[in-house]
Amino acid sequence: MISPNLPSSSLTKCIVYFYDGNSCTFYSLDKTHKRSKPNKALGIRRLDKMLLLGKLKGSWETAIIYENLLNGKEIAKYKNGVRLF
Amino acid sequence: MVTKAPPPIRPYYDFSMLFKATKTFIDHHNSTHHQLTERLNSNHRATAELITRLYAKQLNHAVVLGEDLTEALPGFKTFNPSLATCKGCTVRTIINHKERLKAAGFIIKELHRGKAGIELWINPSIFTPKKLSTSPDHLHSHSSHIQSILIDKVKNFPPLVQEQQEQKNNNSTVDMLIPSEKGVRLSAHRAHTNFVTGTRQEQNKNTRESRPSDSKKQTRGAKKMRQNELESAFLLQLVRDFWAYARGILFTELMLSPAEEAEILNHIWASVYRKFKIKGSKKDLQGYQEILYKRVDMVSRYLERNPNRWVAPPHLYFHPDNKRNGFNKTYQWFIKQETLKREIRNQILIQKSEQEWKDHNQGKGIHKHKSRLQLFRIQQQRLSSYTDECLLKAYEKSLQRMLLKPIAI
Repeated sequence: MISPNLPSSSLTKCIVYFYDGNSCTFYSLDKTHKRSKPNKALGIRRLDKMLLLGKLKGSWETAIIYENLLNGKEIAKYKNGVRLF
Repeated sequence: MVTKAPPPIRPYYDFSMLFKATKTFIDHHNSTHHQLTERLNSNHRATAELITRLYAKQLNHAVVLGEDLTEALPGFKTFNPSLATCKGCTVRTIINHKERLKAAGFIIKELHRGKAGIELWINPSIFTPKKLSTSPDHLHSHSSHIQSILIDKVKNFPPLVQEQQEQKNNNSTVDMLIPSEKGVRLSAHRAHTNFVTGTRQEQNKNTRESRPSDSKKQTRGAKKMRQNELESAFLLQLVRDFWAYARGILFTELMLSPAEEAEILNHIWASVYRKFKIKGSKKDLQGYQEILYKRVDMVSRYLERNPNRWVAPPHLYFHPDNKRNGFNKTYQWFIKQETLKREIRNQILIQKSEQEWKDHNQGKGIHKHKSRLQLFRIQQQRLSSYTDECLLKAYEKSLQRMLLKPIAI
């Protein structure tokens, strides 16, 4: 079951800038099940999969994965379907 | 013209100064309290010194990190079990010692923080930051203070420890610190260091006997810890080296975040190295590392042979539960390859020996002047150097084929 308050519980978030000018923030789901230990790497992999293989594929220009903290660091950056770092 | 203000002097907590301050404090306390239940014995002294040492280390570290300690000193954060381990005693002993030190005023406050351990505040008279240069006046006042304490120590109490006359150290500087012209009322035998009646209340006598063992324990523990640290650093380096090698060969274009990389390293540690549960020497581990590199090379050759071949992404490839297409399966490949290599080597060796027999029978080759027995000995010696049972058995069979054939005909 997905947590009702994902923005406060997620370890990472992904801000996506679409070709049509919109932008959207997606929060990672870091657990394999409700009571499991959060796994940051799993959350990042899931966001990566969403961007490159999932429903958002081909619709965005830039996507940045951040730590879900105040002034969180950039973890990964994508441009036109290519991971830059 | 604007003059630059001098940079603030960073305080440094020198252990030798703190040690002296601790000693002075405890000696002073002991000189004013005569009941055994109030006094601080050598063990309490050792605990106090341990606390001082660790606290100084913590403060110096905080200073290096740039914390400002000029206004108020932070407490000494620690755990009772860790203190007990450092000192080589039980937790209960540490608690008892802390109580005694609190009663003596050495520890002024203690806070229990549950999981985060305890926080102790030490008497500020010990932890006032000392200037780097000491003026002669300061030294003088300090020495006079020590002298006054030493003078106070002359009491007519029976000794705590039976003193042997032979054990007295005539070279001890302690005696020399007490000036005879000060007019201290000493016993008549004072000059000959005979304390049958006027026993010096020498707390140090106790410490001298117990301290070496304490310090030995501590250094032994520290040595062990350092060794463990070195060993774990070596093992960690093995895992990192393996991942760097595998990444360079199998996952060249992969970009990973630190969290993902850490997860992969954990997987490698669990699946490839089996959490280092199997103990071995450094040489064994390096040998195993070489085998792992060979296995990675085998995988890369496997991929090169056909463009349609692939390996799973690293978090799956090195996952301990991946029984289907994980890296662990390459061990079977390696065993198979090594067995094949050995079989081929054995075949070549047997063929060589057979050729030598043929040449010998025809009176050719380098062994033509040797007898059959000598040739057999040479070959046997050469083959036994490989320490392979299969090779020796195959050699026996080949001998039977080569030598018994003409007789059968």
